[in-house]
Amino acid sequence: MSYYHESIKPLFLRMASMPLAIVLLMVLAIASVIGTVLLQNQEQADYLNQFGPVWYWVFRSLGLFDMYHAWWFIGLLAFLMVSLSFCLWHNVPRMLKEMRSRKITLAEHAWKRMQRTHEFALSDLTMDQVKAKVEAIDGWRWLSRSEGERTHLRGDKGSYHKWGYILVHSALLIVLIGGWMSVQFGFRGNMAVPEGSSENTITFLKGTGVESLKMPFDVRCNNFDIDFYPNGMPKEFKSNLTIIDGGEEVLTSDIIVNEPLYYKGVRIYQASFGDGGSEIGLKLLRLDGSKRIDSVKGEIYKTYTDTESGISLEFTDFKPFNVENMAAPGAPKKFQDIGPAVDFILRGPGLKPVKVRSFLNPFDVDGQNQGTLIMVSLTGDVRDFQSFFLGPDLTNPKEWDLFHAFSKRIGGGDASAGLKAFKDSVKEVYGEKPPADMQDLGIRTLQGMQVLPTLPWPFIPILDDYEQHYYTGLQLAEDPGMNVVWVGSAILVFGLCIMLYISHRKVWVVLEPASKGVRIRVAGLSNRNTMAFEGEFNAFLRELENNLATDEQTSEQGASS
Amino acid sequence: MTAAVESSLLSGIYQGKIVHARFWFYIGLMIGASLLAIFGGNGYDEDAYIYRLLSMQGLIWCGAGGVAGLVASMFLGGKKSAALVPWLDGLTLMIVLMWLFTLFEPHASLISYEDQSNLVSGKLVMAMNLFFIFSAVCYIMYLFAPESFIGKMATGAAWGGVYTGGTSLLLRWYESYLFLGGDIGHAPVSNLYEVFILLFCVTCCIYLAFERRYQAKAMGAFIMVIVSAGVFFGIWLDSIGQADIKPLVPALQSYWMKIHVPLNFVGYGAFAVACAAGMAWLVRDRLEQKGTSKMLKVFPSLDQLDQLAYKSVAIGFPAFTLATILGAAWAAEAWGGYWSWDPKETWALIVWLFYGAYLHVRISHGWSGKTLAWWAVAGFLVTLFCFVGVNMYLSGLHSYGRLA
Repeated sequence: MSYYHESIKPLFLRMASMPLAIVLLMVLAIASVIGTVLLQNQEQADYLNQFGPVWYWVFRSLGLFDMYHAWWFIGLLAFLMVSLSFCLWHNVPRMLKEMRSRKITLAEHAWKRMQRTHEFALSDLTMDQVKAKVEAIDGWRWLSRSEGERTHLRGDKGSYHKWGYILVHSALLIVLIGGWMSVQFGFRGNMAVPEGSSENTITFLKGTGVESLKMPFDVRCNNFDIDFYPNGMPKEFKSNLTIIDGGEEVLTSDIIVNEPLYYKGVRIYQASFGDGGSEIGLKLLRLDGSKRIDSVKGEIYKTYTDTESGISLEFTDFKPFNVENMAAPGAPKKFQDIGPAVDFILRGPGLKPVKVRSFLNPFDVDGQNQGTLIMVSLTGDVRDFQSFFLGPDLTNPKEWDLFHAFSKRIGGGDASAGLKAFKDSVKEVYGEKPPADMQDLGIRTLQGMQVLPTLPWPFIPILDDYEQHYYTGLQLAEDPGMNVVWVGSAILVFGLCIMLYISHRKVWVVLEPASKGVRIRVAGLSNRNTMAFEGEFNAFLRELENNLATDEQTSEQGASS
Repeated sequence: MTAAVESSLLSGIYQGKIVHARFWFYIGLMIGASLLAIFGGNGYDEDAYIYRLLSMQGLIWCGAGGVAGLVASMFLGGKKSAALVPWLDGLTLMIVLMWLFTLFEPHASLISYEDQSNLVSGKLVMAMNLFFIFSAVCYIMYLFAPESFIGKMATGAAWGGVYTGGTSLLLRWYESYLFLGGDIGHAPVSNLYEVFILLFCVTCCIYLAFERRYQAKAMGAFIMVIVSAGVFFGIWLDSIGQADIKPLVPALQSYWMKIHVPLNFVGYGAFAVACAAGMAWLVRDRLEQKGTSKMLKVFPSLDQLDQLAYKSVAIGFPAFTLATILGAAWAAEAWGGYWSWDPKETWALIVWLFYGAYLHVRISHGWSGKTLAWWAVAGFLVTLFCFVGVNMYLSGLHSYGRLA
């Protein structure tokens, strides 16, 4: 071997060695564990919170927050590739040579190494006849050589099994090269396309930052749809997309999860969805005693400012369904949809900014109207929403009127004179036909008397109507390495099957003239699966004996006729 | 009918022309069903396919395939066919059993999505649990009292478990079409409970095939204890309401699910058998050091156990490799990339590296014995974490296998 300079031979051998390979595999396995235990690619602030400043900087400098792209992990993979290449370079010529050269003769001392041996003698046949009969046994590749008075025959099965090693290791190299090509020449990023508009830039994470990339075409989302199962679980997310290339509409198609669109080498996947700027109608119920209700219009991701009070509402999200667990804590879960809701951040002079969720419908439990519900989160985090029952069903203008009529009669003072005042107020608002749920109405109004005056805001914002627009979250990816990986994978599986299921089995048959006829010695060797080889060797012997016996019979018959 | 006649009758149908024709008949049947999936109607549609298969259309496609197979059997060879036919026969028997049990399903008006406790598949799973636990007890008894009667009971109960388990899974597939207007029907490999049953069946099948071929009955005690532990985990899953048939989330609605998941469990099941062989090796080694023990007569030799562990890995490793590759192909179609370093993927890689290293030291270094026995046991623990632990402790894209 003179492919390389003598002085690097030790290094070369070390790189191609088995212990190194095993150590590398185990180190890779252990390193991979870290990335599954430590959540990857989270917000840096969360990490800082979780680990404190010291460990945060240690972890960050080791790249543990994006570990699979850290220099040392990539280095490990590169090292594996180098080791694989050296291993192939070192072993393939040797293996090919071994596969070509098959030693036909069997030295006497080699008999001890044989796993199976058998010996018998035949009287009526010549050496050549026996040799012909041996070579007639199917399934073995025969070679023969005569040395002195002995004739050696060698049969091979599965002699190509070393191709298994070669294929598996080359395949791994191909897969790794494919992976490197994917990272180097491919991209993968997200874009959000609101219904009715188009987009051509994807964004993706790189290290701790976000980068963007312009696509050679535009994607327009015509429509986004969610189908639900009867039990409320989502069944299908579907986007209708049009590809616009150079100002021309070239392709319109539906995509769903598991069925991406393919255009100009880029695959477009359905990945997520969200609000794409729904139009919101709000009612502002003024709390200055004037009973005034103002209708205002807003849009998600935009801010509405009320000129009268200087309060601004920044709309953040809209959801047409809000399924909540209505059961008491500990009781079996009972899910109910409490209807459309809009989230916004409420800011104003002298007010603490809060996040508010306002619903279209009053809160309803088993057909009983519990009045208007509003949720407030002091932190701005949706997990911190707290429910506030305002009392009256404020979607019903009559209850709003009733609240005012009642508070005027009571005058904010003593509620003991309440019953008569309440009845009068109902008569004032509803006329002679009182509503059916008088008792609930009373409870709601009284609750309103307690809650509404304590609100810090000069109005109550209630969701009134909406025109929903989704955005569809698409993932766009181009992956020139993918087909390389598939080719490598196919070779890998094929090679593994050869490597694990084909064993190289060898039999030698040595013939020598005996005092009477021919002495036949048989030996067998398998490089693995010796349990199965025992059966195969015995079957071979049976076939050999059968062959020789029939020959005897036919030769006898030939002699007699 | 005497036992001798019976056995000759049984072996008769696994010999010569009959088994050969049957093999090609099965192949034809499967090709017919696949062609129906591809060309019948407007391509493959999960909801309609089962109905199509069971309708006149299915009869025509599969029947034609079967007849074509029979005709082809006159011209085709196939030395290995006899080895596969018993498995295909078993599958056919399971399908017949499933059909029989559908007759016992409650009336349509009594079936509701909210309360699935009256379905037959649940009762079959209960029977399967009993079979497996009984089998484990018998196998352990066999170690101490190696009577052929006890051994036969153990093997019989294990087969009973495989058939009830397999039938219950097929029945769940059928039952999933009975709710919510037939809208949520899907193959029974979509949650932890279902794949656990699959894992039991695959593990037992691999072990029982070894038992028949290599007379390794003492290993049964180890494998059935592992399976029984799984059975108790399954009972716990059922008790926390994880056994219900639920609709598929959009990400799982793909034909890949039916290929990727079962193939993975061939890998897991084989690794479980390797673990049992490793455990048996370690126990035998300990017994030998202690001196003579009666139990030694029952155990296969150390060398045999070593080879059995290797054989299991040799079955599991390519299956697991192929399953992971097919998983990557699915990911490329559903998530936009064939590899995302998702925890489940990463743990699959870890399992793969672990057994890859096992094969290296075994094949190229020629190691055997104690280290490899421990390696097989440890490997199964890693596999177990990949299978259950990831779902319980780590989040990620495979979160549909998650415990609520």
